Amino acid sequence: MADVKHDVIVVGSGAGGAMAAYELTKSGVKVLMLEAGRDYDPKTETPMFKRNGEAPLMGAGNVDKDFGFYDATVDGGWTVPDEPYTMAEGTEFLWWRARMLGGRTNHWGRYSLRFSEHDFKGKSRDGLGADWPFEYDELAPWYDKTETLVGVCGANTGHEDMPPSSPGVLQTPPTPRITELLVAAAAKKEGIDLAPMHRAVLTAPKDIRSKCFYATPCGHGCSIGAAFQTTTSLIPLARETGLLEVVTDAMVRSVDTDDDGKVTGVTYVDKKTGKDEKLSARVVILAASACESARILLNSKSKKHPNGLANSSGQVGRNIMDSTGANIGAMVPALRNRPRYNEDGHTSNHLFIPWWGHQAQAKGELDFPRGYHFEIGSGFREPGSSVAGDLQGYGKALKDEAKANYGAYIGFALRGEMLPNEHCYMEIDDKVTDKWGIPVAKFHWKWSEHELNQIKHGLETAKVIFANMGADVGELPTPEEAILKGGEIIHEVGSTRMGESPTDSVTNQWGQTWDCNNLFVMDAGVFASNPHKNCTLTIMTLAMRNADWLATQMKQGVI
Amino acid sequence: MTDKQPDQDYQYLPRLSRRESLKWMGILAASAALPGLAACSDNTAVAATQAGHWPELSLAPVTAKGYGKDPNLIIPPETPWPRTLTPAQLTTVAVLSDILVPKDGNVPSASQVNVPDVVDEWVSAPYASQQRDRITILSALAWIDDEAELRFQKPFTKLSSAQQTAIIDDIAYENAKTPEQFQRIATAFSRFRSLVLAAFFCSPEGTKDIGYLGNVAIAGDYPGPTEEAKQHLDKMLQELGLSDYAYQEQRA
Repeated sequence: MADVKHDVIVVGSGAGGAMAAYELTKSGVKVLMLEAGRDYDPKTETPMFKRNGEAPLMGAGNVDKDFGFYDATVDGGWTVPDEPYTMAEGTEFLWWRARMLGGRTNHWGRYSLRFSEHDFKGKSRDGLGADWPFEYDELAPWYDKTETLVGVCGANTGHEDMPPSSPGVLQTPPTPRITELLVAAAAKKEGIDLAPMHRAVLTAPKDIRSKCFYATPCGHGCSIGAAFQTTTSLIPLARETGLLEVVTDAMVRSVDTDDDGKVTGVTYVDKKTGKDEKLSARVVILAASACESARILLNSKSKKHPNGLANSSGQVGRNIMDSTGANIGAMVPALRNRPRYNEDGHTSNHLFIPWWGHQAQAKGELDFPRGYHFEIGSGFREPGSSVAGDLQGYGKALKDEAKANYGAYIGFALRGEMLPNEHCYMEIDDKVTDKWGIPVAKFHWKWSEHELNQIKHGLETAKVIFANMGADVGELPTPEEAILKGGEIIHEVGSTRMGESPTDSVTNQWGQTWDCNNLFVMDAGVFASNPHKNCTLTIMTLAMRNADWLATQMKQGVI
Repeated sequence: MTDKQPDQDYQYLPRLSRRESLKWMGILAASAALPGLAACSDNTAVAATQAGHWPELSLAPVTAKGYGKDPNLIIPPETPWPRTLTPAQLTTVAVLSDILVPKDGNVPSASQVNVPDVVDEWVSAPYASQQRDRITILSALAWIDDEAELRFQKPFTKLSSAQQTAIIDDIAYENAKTPEQFQRIATAFSRFRSLVLAAFFCSPEGTKDIGYLGNVAIAGDYPGPTEEAKQHLDKMLQELGLSDYAYQEQRA
């Protein structure tokens, strides 16, 4: 095809898209990246050292900036102007979108835990959900490569839920803080170990990026590149090859096919002009985020693909999973009036509570499948709009009480595995379209007893650990009350899941759609399950591995 | 509490940008012509029953624009919504703020670090939780003035410190012993207190006072807890019977 300027079009500039573009351009492939949001330059736009007190409303979150004024997500969030989505009656689902170059990597938590051999073969263990079409051992070298490129700090502790990285891959984790050490002792009394969190934060400099200086919230974004985001790492590194072109404000309407059903390119709306543009390429990679990629596929109907592109299995939009979430916390009296010191660290968990229950589960002692972990919220944080808690009285006594309680609160955030179920899926709304006339996603959602039992177990376990610290969390809420909404943890995956067979999955193990050999999905849509571990590291690892495979296929002329 | 008599002419003057100060002058001019603007509620309707009085305010919702999805984060915009507290309400907020957070040695009081401006910005914001707080806090301000009129026949800011304290003592504690007539105002006052404390500790002086030592770039590795903090941890673990379970660092 002589008119083809780019070999590959990548839709999306977040974790999956940027990694695919990086890997392909390093292999000599010409890539055009389309981003639906605006251009974004963390070097000039990141309010790193800004304080809550300088922001409107003390930095508090609202519908304009869900995670607070200085959160790095611009033009996005759980609501996006001009881009509605709908929900079936009785459904509550929150769909986070970041409309900016770099996508959600600009503000994510940077927790980077490997999935383990158990995680890839859940169905073989308990008969539920689906296995992934490969073994952990096949992915392990790619985890090593991804962690090395991205820069992940952490440690190999031999914990059963945390497969080791090869020697020299992980950067040194920061030393734990007082509150984490207290939780560690209180959990150990119950036989539960803490471990250094693995985070995509540099504790030593790497390529064009600086190391962490242990100040400023990572959620503000990181102009020095220490906290990983594609805008300060993969995208500029890929651009250095001279083979990457990026077009922002490009909202993809459809993936286009020829009469044989083969992918020819994409049609996108240039949001600046409102006009449709058509592009052609040998290969199209969707990495627009799980539900956005599924939406594009379902909106790409043709004679050959009447139910949407790559949807002969009917599985596009199905099998959506989020992580389960619940919060529990209390003031710990022993921490009152404790000695002050700089407790910022890399501003997030230095230690966390990995899932400890594999053996109990194997023995049938638990009434739920799969696992969860606890992230710990604590510390002498920068004061914000809710610094003081619920206090009584007035005057100096009041202020002294507020100061005594400062840094004495500990909160656990549960993050657990959800099983796919038939009630959790998205489709295209037959009435509603967005500003550009593109039909929108409609969500269906329902938790099952697996998730509710898991939450119950988590709350009860947390209560015991808090009691060991001398803290009372009070009466526990029911799991139904405690569980956060679908989409609220922003770990939605599975809408284009991979598998062994075209009848029950959308892609093969390379993210290649069964129906079109030159159409790939390289975001979390391909996940066959959603282990309790945050998904971004695995999105990047799969994108690196699968883009490498794709580059080889292209060189060999297979695709 | 100080026992000095309040300055009867005290008026809190907000720290304002030029754009906002023009608006403010308009409000001052209007309020001069409308004495009694401080009491939003209709005092004649107030009856001190067993359940207490409550000013049922009919507030028009704030419909101003928010700062949007893509504000300038480097130079935050002047909040685009107008501030809505009257001079009298703002002065009441200032007096209450300083009762909650008085000057403490070298540490300034709440009004000295412009907490009332933050409260005004907050209750005037168009977002859902601020609009809920707007009803709560404006009702609390009106209740406090109504109570001052009922007890002492003057607005709250014109009362003596002892008179102010008498009212605050009744509403500043929310527990099983709180009389029924003060329960609702105690809940509303709690929300106001939380907001004032947050605004105070968010100020540079308050942040220093609470002991936040972060947001400082560190050149080498993160140093972790100080010796003093570690000793305090050891003591804690001992008292909680957790010394045997202390974290052992494992690094491969």
